[in-house]
Amino acid sequence: MSPSDRDDAPPDFSLFRRKTLIGGGLLLGAFAAAPRIPAAPEEPATADFDNHFIQLSSLLIPHQLNRDVGLRLAAALRTKDPAFTAHVSALLDIARKKNAKIVEEFFPDVPVGPLKDTALLIISAWYLGVIVDEPGSDVFSYELALMYQPTIDVMTIPTYAISGPNEWTSEAPPLNSMPAF
Amino acid sequence: MDVGGTTAQLDAGILMANEDSADVIVVGTGIVGCLIAQQLLATGLSVVMLEAGPRVDRWRIVENYRNLPPTLRLHFDAPYPPKAWAPHMESYTDAAAAEYLQLEGPNARAYRQGYVRYAGGATWHWAGICWRLTPQDMRLKSLYGVARDWDFDYDTLEPYYTRAEYAIGVCGPSDPSLQWPPMRSKPYPMGPLPFGPGEQRFTDAAARLGLKNLPSAQARNSRISYDGRPPCCGNNNCIPVCPIAAKYDAATALPKIEAKGGRILANAVAYRVETDQKNAIAAVHYFDPDKRSHRITGRIFVLACNGIETPKLLLLSKDERNPNGVANSSDQVGRNMMDQPKLVAELTLAEPLWTGVGPVQGSSIMQTSQGDFRGRHGGALFRFNNMARSTFGGVAAIRKGLVGRALDEEIRRLSACTAEIAIEHELLPDPNNRLTLSDKKDWLGINKPNIYYDVGDYVRRGAQEYSVPLVRKLAAELGSTDVKVSTEFTNSDHIMGGTIMGANSAAAVVDLDCRAHDHPNLFLPGGGAMTTAGCGNSTLTMAALALKAADAIAGQAKRG
Repeated sequence: MSPSDRDDAPPDFSLFRRKTLIGGGLLLGAFAAAPRIPAAPEEPATADFDNHFIQLSSLLIPHQLNRDVGLRLAAALRTKDPAFTAHVSALLDIARKKNAKIVEEFFPDVPVGPLKDTALLIISAWYLGVIVDEPGSDVFSYELALMYQPTIDVMTIPTYAISGPNEWTSEAPPLNSMPAF
Repeated sequence: MDVGGTTAQLDAGILMANEDSADVIVVGTGIVGCLIAQQLLATGLSVVMLEAGPRVDRWRIVENYRNLPPTLRLHFDAPYPPKAWAPHMESYTDAAAAEYLQLEGPNARAYRQGYVRYAGGATWHWAGICWRLTPQDMRLKSLYGVARDWDFDYDTLEPYYTRAEYAIGVCGPSDPSLQWPPMRSKPYPMGPLPFGPGEQRFTDAAARLGLKNLPSAQARNSRISYDGRPPCCGNNNCIPVCPIAAKYDAATALPKIEAKGGRILANAVAYRVETDQKNAIAAVHYFDPDKRSHRITGRIFVLACNGIETPKLLLLSKDERNPNGVANSSDQVGRNMMDQPKLVAELTLAEPLWTGVGPVQGSSIMQTSQGDFRGRHGGALFRFNNMARSTFGGVAAIRKGLVGRALDEEIRRLSACTAEIAIEHELLPDPNNRLTLSDKKDWLGINKPNIYYDVGDYVRRGAQEYSVPLVRKLAAELGSTDVKVSTEFTNSDHIMGGTIMGANSAAAVVDLDCRAHDHPNLFLPGGGAMTTAGCGNSTLTMAALALKAADAIAGQAKRG
């Protein structure tokens, strides 16, 4: 078959996630372990914001987070909402005042309204891999979306495999045996 | 068909420069078309295949899937965006779903069939399940006084079932007590796939009620490679695409067809079947994406476009000799549209069941499809859905606004302690369930299919008196704390009946080899030919009928 007969590029679907994860590994890595990016020059204000976003994400989500994914989310969220940068700073201030190390230590102090919505949006984006779960939305992470991790000891991330041919079994761990991630 | 008054001009103008020919013209590149092409190429016949949709590589579909927002990943057609010239139903909203298939009747929602018009057809996203009909499924009239009997028996079909299983690579148990039906001339080419935890618990619960949850016969390589495809590694994504081609899909057959000399024309939308003075088929006309018309001739023609597109094409092709459409002197083209109307029980449990280990489907309770009750109502298949529920759990937990440890624990609980049992019901052939041509046209100006659909009292009684009470017992035995059974029937995507088979040319479209009664060189194999539907997935019967038709085609071609 000649290449001209092939049709492998439906224009309705971008490879956004792949494009944005170039250089990123498939395994979750702590921020500290991930390569520092980007190599390209960055506005100081942007770098500050990125660091604030990453810092806040680590306070909101008690897990290892992929920095590449975080930076892309930060850029998209800031573009989507002009008030996002201020919300991030305000949320960090609340956490600092509580000297919080985990989300449970400061989340009750976040006022209902835009700040709480922002906090939940950040958590949702890390877990679902999208900012908006609607047709046509950009996907920021698939296999790195955190929603797969609480069951990763049992459930396959669809399209990936966690065992070999006929090697899976009917045994499963108890519900309270939460994987570390 | 009205194509803006340009058909004749197009036919007269551009087509001559593009006229093509082969011994056998096959329209459609799904499992039926591919199996027939492979069989006929092996006998030395030349074959050209027409496919309305595009031809794509597996990696593209996998990437399309991974780049879908989470909720959209539950729509198995979503990684297959249709081309303008080859539309298919898109399910992501009701409005989108209403664009192509025009549905009406009491159960219009239950005929929202999810086939995709891509090279390889619906096998891209099929579950790979390969149940056979039982002898009783083929004798409903004789045994229970309903519907029709097939005009041949199970023993006639059995060798073709076996050939189909070996052609596509079907795994299954060697223990007859775990086979369905346990009437086989050869063992499955591969042994069964193991159960994950959820399917095992479902099997155990069913057993306590005296029911046997059988490992499915499935077109997935088990432990070994088969036919150049690798063994299943439990990627749990058979629907909407197997990322490693361990599951048979017709896309894997296309290069093999080309290697044998077959030609595949993608983006070639058949819109008219032309008859000659003797009412034999002379040519198929098709559009390319530039709306140019082409004509292709052959000795024998096979329409294997699926149970909706084939009757649509026949009705589009009416001419002076065939005023009701090609192959339609019986007035049965487009009638008797069947599927297995589905209900779904959603379970919440105190203890985890766990899905997402192994293939997305791997077992079913089949004995519930049989019984003397079939004189009054249909039976049903019960299937534990093994699709990983982590996406469901993740989205649902996030929507609750939880954070931290509570969020993780809720994702784990919702993913592990919820489940679905699908119930697929036997539907009888009813001439009123009918496909006609809609006045609405697609991008090429071709009429969209319109289907009237009523599942009928046979199904409704079956659900009310039999299947829903039984699924509640199953749910209780599994330890459910909450059960919600859907009240609206939905599609199972097993399209059958629209070119029904029978020896009597006054009451059937095709003969016992899937040859059109009206046209000696036209074959219409596949689900459309199925006389009755049973409760099991229809693909293996379609494949068996394809091989039976292929033998007839080869013999006919040899005789000249």
